[in-house]
Amino acid sequence: MTELLVGTKKGLMILRGARGGPFEVAARAFPGEVVEFATRDARSGRYFAAVTHGQFGPHLYFTDDPTKPWQQAEGPAFPASANAAVERIWVIEPGVGDGVVWCGVAPAALFRSGDGGKCWALVHGLWDVPARPQWEGGAGGLCLHSICPWPGDPKRLAVGISSAGVWLSDDAGMSWRRSIGGLVPRYLPEEARKDTHAFCVHNMRRAPRQPATLYMQFHGGVYRSDDAGESWVDIGTDRGLPSDFGFPLAIDPNDPDRAFVVPLSADADRVTPDGKVRVYETSDRGASWRALEKGLPQSQAYLTVLRQAFCTDSGSPLGLYFGAQSGEVFGSADGGRTWSTIASRLPPVASVRCA
Amino acid sequence: MPKVILTGSIRQHVGGLGVVEVDGDTAAAVVKALEASYPAVRGWIVDERGSLRRHVRLFLGQGAVSLEAPIGPNDELHIVAAISGG
Repeated sequence: MTELLVGTKKGLMILRGARGGPFEVAARAFPGEVVEFATRDARSGRYFAAVTHGQFGPHLYFTDDPTKPWQQAEGPAFPASANAAVERIWVIEPGVGDGVVWCGVAPAALFRSGDGGKCWALVHGLWDVPARPQWEGGAGGLCLHSICPWPGDPKRLAVGISSAGVWLSDDAGMSWRRSIGGLVPRYLPEEARKDTHAFCVHNMRRAPRQPATLYMQFHGGVYRSDDAGESWVDIGTDRGLPSDFGFPLAIDPNDPDRAFVVPLSADADRVTPDGKVRVYETSDRGASWRALEKGLPQSQAYLTVLRQAFCTDSGSPLGLYFGAQSGEVFGSADGGRTWSTIASRLPPVASVRCA
Repeated sequence: MPKVILTGSIRQHVGGLGVVEVDGDTAAAVVKALEASYPAVRGWIVDERGSLRRHVRLFLGQGAVSLEAPIGPNDELHIVAAISGG
């Protein structure tokens, strides 16, 4: 049985079904509310949901059983000294070490929980970096959306911020340094690129079996790092992608050479190119990409897939799942060779994660 | 002591109550006292900076008021979720 947590504009949909078989909406939580993101910490079994209430702002909830009442967490909320308020909770990521969970929000900031996600505290080391006043947001706001812990090493952490680049810490978040070597912000005039802070990271994931390997979907560009995020190499240009713009990114947790993107036409046209829904796979670290499209809509399908709406399981063959703003969720149980529509007519999908 | 009149889903954070009496001589002080008595409502009416949530409205008598509005001991402050959505 596979369980998918699908955050939508009108609540959390909990889909359950046999791998490769039909799925159903087994339960729904937060009806009518915007669920930006939901995930489950496999270590504790605890579920998290980031909910933005139309009137009452963003709040984080947790439960050990998603079909039962959820409990509101203590935070994330900025301390008074920060003079800021959380606008949206973008991501919750299990950390390394007992009870450590990370949370990324807008305006771009990182929060840490040491008690499994009940109570949260601002990571001052990142909030206080001298460059922060120069950070600017993209269309989705100034947000910290990607958190990459280092399996086995609680001190090493990488985060991705739109539009403030990649930031690395080697001391569990006490101090941070920006790492944008190799990234090309083509959306800026050439003469403005040298001194800019505007590095619009759209998504970033670390390969757990080879933690020095990271993949990134940039605002125009797909990149890989072989040195833990210190530098980046272009793997998106002239290698088989119909576009190097997009948001979703997934990696095979068992194979650091294998990653997946769902390209969108362009920043000015954020839909699947040519009316075809295609996932692109590389199995050679980005040297080449090939389309995975069997079972996906291949005509008149102009879908938007958001950055948190694509995930894998850890099975073999790999399971892949993504959802669209059109309310469909697609799944593959054979590593992307064939796909099926496992849910349709849902509200717009913001996030998809395997429980 | 002023009365706070709560409507809609905000009631779930004050034990399901629709009317609560708390102290305070401004709307901000009343909200702060409400949060002190009912910690679950913290972060719902005002954010962590103390700013009124964008789609929450306060009414006193016949008009909308700000957090700075003075509140008398016999006043009724209505906290209302604005008509908004999508």
